[in-house]
Amino acid sequence: MSTRVLPPPGHSPGARAWRRLKRNRLARVGLVLVTLMALGCFCLPALLHLDPTTTHPAFRHQPPSAAHWFGTDGLGRDYAARVLAGGQTSLLVGLVATLTCVVIGVLYGAAAGYYGGRVDEVMMRFVDFMYGIPYMFLVILIMLMFSESARGDPVPVFVALGLVEWLTMARVVRGQVLTLREREFVLAARLLGAGDLAIIARHIVPNVLGIVTVYATLTVPTVIILESFLSFLGLGLKLSWGQLVSEAVGVVNPVAVYWWLLAFPSAFLAVTLLCLNYVGDGLRDAVDPKGH
Amino acid sequence: MGRPGTQGGTLSALEAAAVAFGVATLAGAAWLPPKATRVSGASFGGLIAFALARLAWGVPVGALASVTFALVLFRFAPGAVLRRVTFLVPSLLLLVFVTTLLMYHAPGSPFAGEKVASPQVEAALRAHFGVPKSAVDFFGIYLRRLVVEGSLGPSVKVQGRNVETLLRPALPVSLTLGLLALVLASAVGLWLGIVAGLKPNSAADYASTGLSAIGLSLPSFVLGAIGIVLFALKLGWLPVAGWGDLRHIVLPAVTLALPHAAYIARLARGGTIEVMSQDFIRTARAKGLPESAVVLRHALKGAILPVVSYLGPAAAGIMTGSFVVETLFGIPGMGQWFVRGAINRDYSVVLGTALVYASLVTAFNLLVDLAYAWLDPRVRSRS
Amino acid sequence: MYRTLLGILSVFGAALLLVALTFSKTLEAPADLRLANGTEPKSLDPELTTGEPEHVLASALFEGLTRIDGKTGKPVAGVAERWDISADGTVYTFHLRDDARWSDGRPVTADDFVYAWKRLLEPAVGAEYAYMLFPVALAEAYNTFAGHAETLEKQLMPAVTALATQSPLDARSWQDFLRRNKANDPLRPVDDDVLGELLARRTGTLTASDLATFRARLEHARAWLRDESVRARAHFGVDHGVIAKDARTLVVELRAPTPYFLQVLAHNSSMPVPRWALAAHGDRWFLPGNIVSNGPFRLANWIVNDHIRLEKSPTYWGKSEVRLERVDMLSNENQMTILNLYLTGALDCTNRYFPQELAPELKKRRDFEQAPGLVVYFYRLNTTRKPLDDKRVRKAINLAIDRELITKSVLGLGQAPAYTFVPPGLPAYTAPATAIRHDPDEARRLLAEAGYPGGKGFPRVGILYNTMEDHKRLAEVVSDQLRRTLGIEVTPYNQEWQSYLEAERALNYDIARAGWNADYADPNTFLEMFVTNGANNQTGFSSELYDRLIRLASDVSLLARDPDPTLAKLREPEPIRALLAATQSGSPTDREHARERLRLLLLREAESILVEDEFPIVPIYFYVNGTLTQPRVHGYSMRVLLDDGSFGPNLQDTHPLRDVWVDPAHKGEP
Repeated sequence: MSTRVLPPPGHSPGARAWRRLKRNRLARVGLVLVTLMALGCFCLPALLHLDPTTTHPAFRHQPPSAAHWFGTDGLGRDYAARVLAGGQTSLLVGLVATLTCVVIGVLYGAAAGYYGGRVDEVMMRFVDFMYGIPYMFLVILIMLMFSESARGDPVPVFVALGLVEWLTMARVVRGQVLTLREREFVLAARLLGAGDLAIIARHIVPNVLGIVTVYATLTVPTVIILESFLSFLGLGLKLSWGQLVSEAVGVVNPVAVYWWLLAFPSAFLAVTLLCLNYVGDGLRDAVDPKGH
Repeated sequence: MGRPGTQGGTLSALEAAAVAFGVATLAGAAWLPPKATRVSGASFGGLIAFALARLAWGVPVGALASVTFALVLFRFAPGAVLRRVTFLVPSLLLLVFVTTLLMYHAPGSPFAGEKVASPQVEAALRAHFGVPKSAVDFFGIYLRRLVVEGSLGPSVKVQGRNVETLLRPALPVSLTLGLLALVLASAVGLWLGIVAGLKPNSAADYASTGLSAIGLSLPSFVLGAIGIVLFALKLGWLPVAGWGDLRHIVLPAVTLALPHAAYIARLARGGTIEVMSQDFIRTARAKGLPESAVVLRHALKGAILPVVSYLGPAAAGIMTGSFVVETLFGIPGMGQWFVRGAINRDYSVVLGTALVYASLVTAFNLLVDLAYAWLDPRVRSRS
Repeated sequence: MYRTLLGILSVFGAALLLVALTFSKTLEAPADLRLANGTEPKSLDPELTTGEPEHVLASALFEGLTRIDGKTGKPVAGVAERWDISADGTVYTFHLRDDARWSDGRPVTADDFVYAWKRLLEPAVGAEYAYMLFPVALAEAYNTFAGHAETLEKQLMPAVTALATQSPLDARSWQDFLRRNKANDPLRPVDDDVLGELLARRTGTLTASDLATFRARLEHARAWLRDESVRARAHFGVDHGVIAKDARTLVVELRAPTPYFLQVLAHNSSMPVPRWALAAHGDRWFLPGNIVSNGPFRLANWIVNDHIRLEKSPTYWGKSEVRLERVDMLSNENQMTILNLYLTGALDCTNRYFPQELAPELKKRRDFEQAPGLVVYFYRLNTTRKPLDDKRVRKAINLAIDRELITKSVLGLGQAPAYTFVPPGLPAYTAPATAIRHDPDEARRLLAEAGYPGGKGFPRVGILYNTMEDHKRLAEVVSDQLRRTLGIEVTPYNQEWQSYLEAERALNYDIARAGWNADYADPNTFLEMFVTNGANNQTGFSSELYDRLIRLASDVSLLARDPDPTLAKLREPEPIRALLAATQSGSPTDREHARERLRLLLLREAESILVEDEFPIVPIYFYVNGTLTQPRVHGYSMRVLLDDGSFGPNLQDTHPLRDVWVDPAHKGEP
């Protein structure tokens, strides 16, 4: 064990957590890789003038080469461009759906925990009820509802996934709030005549942000995997890692081994998910070093 | 919305009122006195056990399961558990209603075919299958059929059969697959996790963590597809798809289990490390207990508690995974019915599978809670 | 601690018990032949089903008056042993075999057919394929006229009354009104010149008196439809249309000579059904244990979502010709799974269910066989929406697509690029001249002429397809070609089947993928769908001349009444005028012959409206059907024997199981 330098007094819990996170090697590597991945997916296509849509059917199914680093797909499109473009949507789905889920989960959980009693009971029963429904079921139904107006627009996918993923977040936040509301500073604020909303906004929410960040980080990979399931069932996005992977699964066959179609998006997907998981774990240890 | 020919449209006042009523009922159950909750919880639990078991194995087994389950619940279950069961029945009603609304508001109708039917033909079909144009009417017909005939209604897309006839052979298939996957995931996950946790940062740890990393970071259908190519097409050891004998179950069960095995391994590793660093382990070793006994007695316990609490979500996850895995391996189980029902707008099929799934998840969560209480006496006193 | 172990062990035990319970069911004997049959069949009722998997099963379980011969692909004697056709081609007398038996031993009688046909045509039964029997006299009246009369009375007439307050009305709103109220459908059978003129009014205005006339004619039409329907109810199956002269003689009267009628009789919609089984079991009569059938096979087992087991029927009259004992029909729609099953020997034939993306690789295999089919793959264009309401834009889109590249490099199975609509290979029908070709320059010129030079100002349009990998690939290539050639934004997007059908029907799309499969080998099945407001038109396309040509083709004698106004509008009137004269003189056979050629020429003129003037569609390619079949399977061929002794393509991709056999020398091999 290396010698520990105690944080200088007066530093916020956030700064302390960040310091602890930086000491976690896996999390550090993960964070760097995820950042690189995001930068790559969003910047490289423009920098290298990669085009994911132009088809050249005559040059289809070319294995990787100098001209096409990741080869070409069944319509002769540059596969590197497609993998990167797919990364954009996959990461966006992860982010936006997670944001949706954070907003709903934090508000719901904070309200249930803060008011407690019967309100809490009823609100948590509803969460239990939602837990009892296989979430894929809801996602599919929501997707079907939007299938007509969306025209391949990714927003319904974001919403659907966010709408089913907020439950864990709500539970975690509620648990934290239950203990927080008994703490001195909350009681003091209440005695000073602060309203419920003000207390929730000023005292409760800032104090659950740490744990929220942890779960949000862990929600992103879950959402990305869920989207790939939807793609596999034919209800996903037009171009995402999940979509590329499920298309490739459709042609993994001894008759014709187009290995690059499966290998590249899978690798990108796996690396991203793995790193996000490590970052999430690292964050958890950093925010709550005593375990959860 | 509101184009001619669509069933969709904005929520009518009647529909909104019905949803509000459902939520209110759900909330009302929170005010039941403890004694009443005990009775209602146990009887509801029995009811659900009966419904499920009858579907899979027929009335006698169903009745037996129902009575046993109700008695067990009444005698042993903690109050919190029974309270949850009490919520279940109104919850399921709400589920059916909300699902009906969602389906009716989605575009497309179950009666659209490639050849366009005249309005008269469509009207005849709607009347025959009990699928009127309004969601509320449909809900009424559905409930009446459920209560009076104990039937989940006819399927539109697989004609001549009721949904329960379709689900009866499918339920054991999915249950078998799911349970096997769960057992496999627990066994493999625990083993990997404990091995890794006993010697952190060793080669064994890295190997096990690496394995679980793969399981966590790839969608199961990718692993399944690779499995098919390797074990079915290249080596010819296992069949590609289908259902019929024991060899058919291997690949799907493994595919379904892998992500969860990976997660369980992580949980178990953490638990083991925590237990092994505690003082009583040192004491036990100092007493000269053989290492195997130490591991078996203490490490296993440390590993297993976090895992048990994960089993509830794992079961739900395995069911979701089964949608994908059953499609990939062409298995005639519940998951396929749900996906196909939703895509074909076969309303009764969707509702039937939703009901069965929701009851299963709840039942399983209950079992996990009971098991947890049984394993860890502290929990029992807490409730 | 031991509790933990005990708990784990008991869960294990329970799981194993479950596994054992699930697999304890008795195993079936291995099948002689295992075929991929696509999606799970909806029903086995031959009259109520529409899909291809159901058609294959129904043809194995049941047999109509005729059946399709596996070797020649032509209709041959089925339950009817022979038949006589009257000189004018409108009366068929069928003589039924005396050894035709149901699987419960009862004889198959003429009454069984009368019962089945009346059931098919009964509106309350809701059979989608009822129109297959419309060539039979009174059949259409029996099936639809009561409904049409009701639609007129309850919908159209009140709507017209309400509309009357808005007169005078410009012709455009008038056509909108007709489309919205689906006016053409119930009025199509009505022969009324005044009504026809008003329905076709596309210019000028409609006065209040026009509307009043229209309403009066509607009332008249309603009364006529009602009377006809009553007449059909009283006479069809009794002394008109179809008549059971005795137990083994069935007389069928047609409303006009129909050259493809014997093919129709082999189709599942006109097969007999066992009335006593229906009475006993209601809509469950086709389930195992209940079903009674008269075909070469009977239903042995049905595991939903898995497979259907057929076994040779011991009561079938031709059982000595049936060589398969047991057949498994696999219900699975996952093309990759099917291919993999085939590659591991768990399946003997993939049928058409293999991934198209692998077609070029599969084509190299020796066990792969293919033949062109009577199917056209096309895009519908929504002619009611901007910018596709401009036919220059529609033509530009047609010219911008490189079909050669698509068929050669994207599809790769030898599909033919489609520059016309009706697939080649139909007897005696030749495709019309067409303006559709690959001409990017002309396409750009047309687009500029329509007001969108270089695609500027062109609104974003979508290509709708139903969720499936093959459609997705094509939509992506086509949208890329349109984008690059015309500089317009095109987004491909998918919807699952039920939503897709509804979007097409409600004209809620810009461009939509479609395919059309021939119900019978005649151009009529392709061209009839684009009549104004036809149920399968779904493009908003409407042309008075087109409607008239289709109507004339269904009864060419109508043309003789007043040929000149029609002929004046045609592209090639001279051959038609000559044939018209030929239908009125010469021997009956010559006249019959001339009538048939005239009919085909009229259809050809109609097709040329689609591909030369109006372009409501974008034909893309004509299908090639292919299958992987293990070498031990015989008689499952993509080729059929022609009259001249040579081989031709199996255009309808039909493979009657009764004519398939398995080489015993190969038996048991994977």
